[in-house]
Amino acid sequence: MQIPLVVPCVLSTLRPLVSDVRLVGIKKSFGENAIVKGVDLDVIDGEFLVMVGPSGCGKTTLLRIISGLEQMDEGELFIGGKKMNDVPPRERDVGMVFQSYALYPHMTVRENMAFGLELRKLPRAEIDARVAEAARMLELGPLLERKPKALSGGQRQRVAMGRVIVRRPQLFLFDEPLSNLDTALRVAMRGELARLHRQLGVTMIYVTHDQVEAMTLATRVAVFNQGILQQLGAPLELYHRPCNAFVAQFLGSPSMNLITAKREGDRFVGAGFTLPAVGDASGEVKLGMRPQDLRVGSEGPIRGEIEAVERLGFDGYAFLKTPAGPIAARFEGADVQVGQTVAVMPTGDVLHVFSSDGARALRHPEARRA
Amino acid sequence: MRSPWVALVLLASTLSFAAPPSLKLWHGYRGGEEQAIEQAAKAFTAATGTQVEILAVPYDALSSKLTSAIPHEAGPDVFIFAHERLRQFHRMKIVAPSGPGLEPSKYLKPAVDALELDGKFYGYPLSIKCLALFMRDDRGLTAPTTTDALEAQLTAASNPAKNEFGLAYEAGDFYFHAPILFGFGGQLFDAQGRAQFETPAMEKSLAWVKSLQDRHLMPQEASGALVKTLFNENRTAMVISGPWFTGEIDPGVKYSIHPLPMVSETGLPMAPFLGVEAAFVSSRTTQPEAAEALAKFLAVGDATVMRVITGRQIPAELAAYENEAVAKDTMISAFRAVAERGTATPNTLEMARVWEPMKLALRAVLQGGVSPHDGGPLAGRRYRALNREAPPTTSPVPYVVVLVLGLVALVTWQSRKAKGKSFKQRYPEAGRGLAYVAPAAAGLAVLVVVPFVIGLSLSLFHHEAGEYSFVGLANFTDILTSKGYRITEPLSFYFTLVVTLLWTLANVVLHVSIGLFLAILLKEPLLKLRGVYRVLLIVPWAVPNYITAMMWKGMFHRQFGAINAILGMFGIEPVSWFAQWSTAFAANVITNTWLGFPFMMVVSLGALQSIPTDLYEAAEVDGASKWTQFRRITLPLLRPALLPAIILGSVWTFNMFNIIYLVSGGEPGGGTDILVSEAFRWAFQRNEQYGFAAAYSVLIFFVLFAWSQVTKRLSGEEQA
Ligand SMILES: Nc1ncnc2c1ncn2[C@@H]1O[C@H](COP(=O)(O)OP(=O)(O)OP(=O)(O)O)[C@@H](O)[C@H]1O
Ligand SMILES: [Mg+2]
Repeated sequence: MQIPLVVPCVLSTLRPLVSDVRLVGIKKSFGENAIVKGVDLDVIDGEFLVMVGPSGCGKTTLLRIISGLEQMDEGELFIGGKKMNDVPPRERDVGMVFQSYALYPHMTVRENMAFGLELRKLPRAEIDARVAEAARMLELGPLLERKPKALSGGQRQRVAMGRVIVRRPQLFLFDEPLSNLDTALRVAMRGELARLHRQLGVTMIYVTHDQVEAMTLATRVAVFNQGILQQLGAPLELYHRPCNAFVAQFLGSPSMNLITAKREGDRFVGAGFTLPAVGDASGEVKLGMRPQDLRVGSEGPIRGEIEAVERLGFDGYAFLKTPAGPIAARFEGADVQVGQTVAVMPTGDVLHVFSSDGARALRHPEARRA
Repeated sequence: MRSPWVALVLLASTLSFAAPPSLKLWHGYRGGEEQAIEQAAKAFTAATGTQVEILAVPYDALSSKLTSAIPHEAGPDVFIFAHERLRQFHRMKIVAPSGPGLEPSKYLKPAVDALELDGKFYGYPLSIKCLALFMRDDRGLTAPTTTDALEAQLTAASNPAKNEFGLAYEAGDFYFHAPILFGFGGQLFDAQGRAQFETPAMEKSLAWVKSLQDRHLMPQEASGALVKTLFNENRTAMVISGPWFTGEIDPGVKYSIHPLPMVSETGLPMAPFLGVEAAFVSSRTTQPEAAEALAKFLAVGDATVMRVITGRQIPAELAAYENEAVAKDTMISAFRAVAERGTATPNTLEMARVWEPMKLALRAVLQGGVSPHDGGPLAGRRYRALNREAPPTTSPVPYVVVLVLGLVALVTWQSRKAKGKSFKQRYPEAGRGLAYVAPAAAGLAVLVVVPFVIGLSLSLFHHEAGEYSFVGLANFTDILTSKGYRITEPLSFYFTLVVTLLWTLANVVLHVSIGLFLAILLKEPLLKLRGVYRVLLIVPWAVPNYITAMMWKGMFHRQFGAINAILGMFGIEPVSWFAQWSTAFAANVITNTWLGFPFMMVVSLGALQSIPTDLYEAAEVDGASKWTQFRRITLPLLRPALLPAIILGSVWTFNMFNIIYLVSGGEPGGGTDILVSEAFRWAFQRNEQYGFAAAYSVLIFFVLFAWSQVTKRLSGEEQA
């Protein structure tokens, strides 16, 4: 079976100049509060980079620094190899989709999309052609003469996207564009975004705090916490080889179990459990196990009482209270009920080992090291 | 211990029941004069046992209050007023002739003469008022007896460089100019008793005053307040003013009072107008004898002495001058000497018609817009325009017929629309519905419908001296055909309409642009002390507009105003703001802009703050400059909030009476009057031509009605 190559020739005309984005030691504070604390990041030309992190970690701020809407305190920013520190937003040739869409309420969909082109004094015919093209791509054709007030959330979102697409910027910035949508629409829009990226092949930086969006859309994911870039890599790499406990817990759902243990010879000993030791970590450590890698049963090294059950169908997750702390584990079919005392069993080599403060990963399971 | 209280209450109530009905006394006095009249009334009560209820009415309002209250039996029994209105009061039949209590020989002759009308006397003379020359003693000048001597002294006493003058008086007011006119041999009335302005004496008197001003011997545009300040600060050696001025002189200043000098050229004295204040008995009083007694009581004996001592009045009663305390009072005796030369202001209707034209001519000449030679003709023209001939009386029948036919047509049309259904069928719950709307409908009827209908009907009448005659649409045709003056003259409706439109346009444009500009500045989050500026900029709005108007009026003063002082610092010649149309108009607009921009600022600020900032950020990223953002984002988004404010502002400005009336006062020559202030003048300053003024108001209504239709269309587009 042949996989169709999805960058049609028509759309290749939309391709802007080869570009990449480079952040060097960027810092930003609001008053006393340091929000972005020295971020270095290279965005590869044409990639879909997703920035994730908990609320308030500075993602929006960083995006606004890239777009030029916010001034950085320290550091350097390059777009397409050009230093941008002192270039105003309108000369940066970036397109930004705002979390609130920021559609111009007094303009129709067509005018909203044409606005940026009119400002660039493009000939009328060219503007019309581009708007028509974007409208076709985003299926906005029937809505062109409406005002934003008369659009649904998903339609507005597409208009916001269209407004950026017609300008063909060398860099797209998205700030949680899907956060206002309901689940079904979000899934659909996610698909459209992925398609759009494939069609345009242009660099996109996308901010979200939804890890599913991050995992499904990204070429690479950048995880932030408290204004610091924690880890940058392909989604699966981050999932399987998180560089610290924060990343490990942030990605994956339910999030990774973390329990404290002590290395004693060839065993990890913790509160109420012992596990065979792996790797060469010594002393106090944190052990990480993904719930997907643990099975609920009658036999296993860790025992506890079921506090909650999340049944997805035939299988699901059970949340246990154990002497070592809360543990989530997968179950299949079994008759699992709240209040039962059960054991959990790792399904093989599943143990991630982190330093006791969680700041460093010491070991990842063998099978996933590649 | 209750009984004494009970007894007291009983006593009080029996007393009040026993008391005879009281007399009502209305006057326009303030300060010492008011105190004196109260003392005198108390003395009257003590002597006769009759209570006197005193009401002090602001002098400006007293005349209209009297003429409207007395015919409805709601007025006083006795009122105090100057004799000039006697003839008018007489025609309106609100004043009763004096009984035998009045003994003419007991009063100064000009004072009783002033109260005579067709052989009968009305009222009891209380006091006289006239102009005299006040001189500061510390200047060491002797009282000038001729104008030559006066001029010599003024030249010596003036110092133009330091804004010091020899003489100051309210030269723009004909009351002050009249003695000069008479001194030059002028006659105000011709043999038929008609006012005359185009006389050689008029030209000479105007030229003389103008030359004093041109030589900086006296200040320009002097108001009463300025005259007072100059005299107290020793910046003028002499003042022409009346007895009331003694109350305005600082206690430390030593001064003397002299008759006005004689005009050297003619050898005639400058004879001031003599105003006689009298206590008149209302024709509608229910107690004519008691009222007569009160009026007489106030005019003679102890009451006169009280008025002299406490009220500083110049008594009309001769006996008072024999009183020891009065005889010692140099001011009183000085004024008596002046008064003996004076002539009572004629109490004719014709006299009332002289003031406005003469004021116009005086100001035009003094401000330099018109030569002394043309001053008289200017006044004459204005006189003829203001005293329009009464339009012929017509029969109201055709109008009533048209009205009735119109009503019938309306009713049939309405019932045709109802397609045969009865009222009950169409509105089954009419009774309850009417009950709900009744309070609002009643309010509307009283506040809007009734005045509107009255105004509308009034515009079909001509009013002269209390009598209305039906003239149909004559007022409208006179206005719209600009009868009696050219279209380009300020008195013409069209001229005023154009001025009003210009005025409205200029103001609204300035209000909106300044308001918007400041709102944008204030919104800027980087601006420090934003809150403070915000409050400061709203202050002009919080100050009552007439106060602001008076302050600006003062600031625009030619010699003493702050604005010319500031211009002077940049070496700019002082501007005579109210002498030319353009600057007078600008002064009005500046004042009203000061008043008007805060409203637009507040509206814009609110609207600006409701525009999400991310729109600007989106536009910024889209490539819009600040200016483009303003034009393409801010303005269109402000439109829905600003448009109603602009409509409202335009209507307010269109009818902004206070500013026009108080700042430029219509100067020069009525050129800056707008439609409402012009309507006001026709009603209250030009022979009470109420019908003509009502016709003006109706026309104003139509203009605004048309404008409201336009704006409805405009805001309708907004909704779409
Ligand atoms: N203009 C500002 N002034 C002061 N503090 C600010 C400003 N903008 C952002 N902050 C603060 O900076 C921190 C990071 O904000 P930012 O919007 O970048 O977070 P985020 O990662 O985008 O969060 P979320 O996922 O909730 O959108 C927050 O604590 C916020 O309160
Ligand atoms: Mg954010």
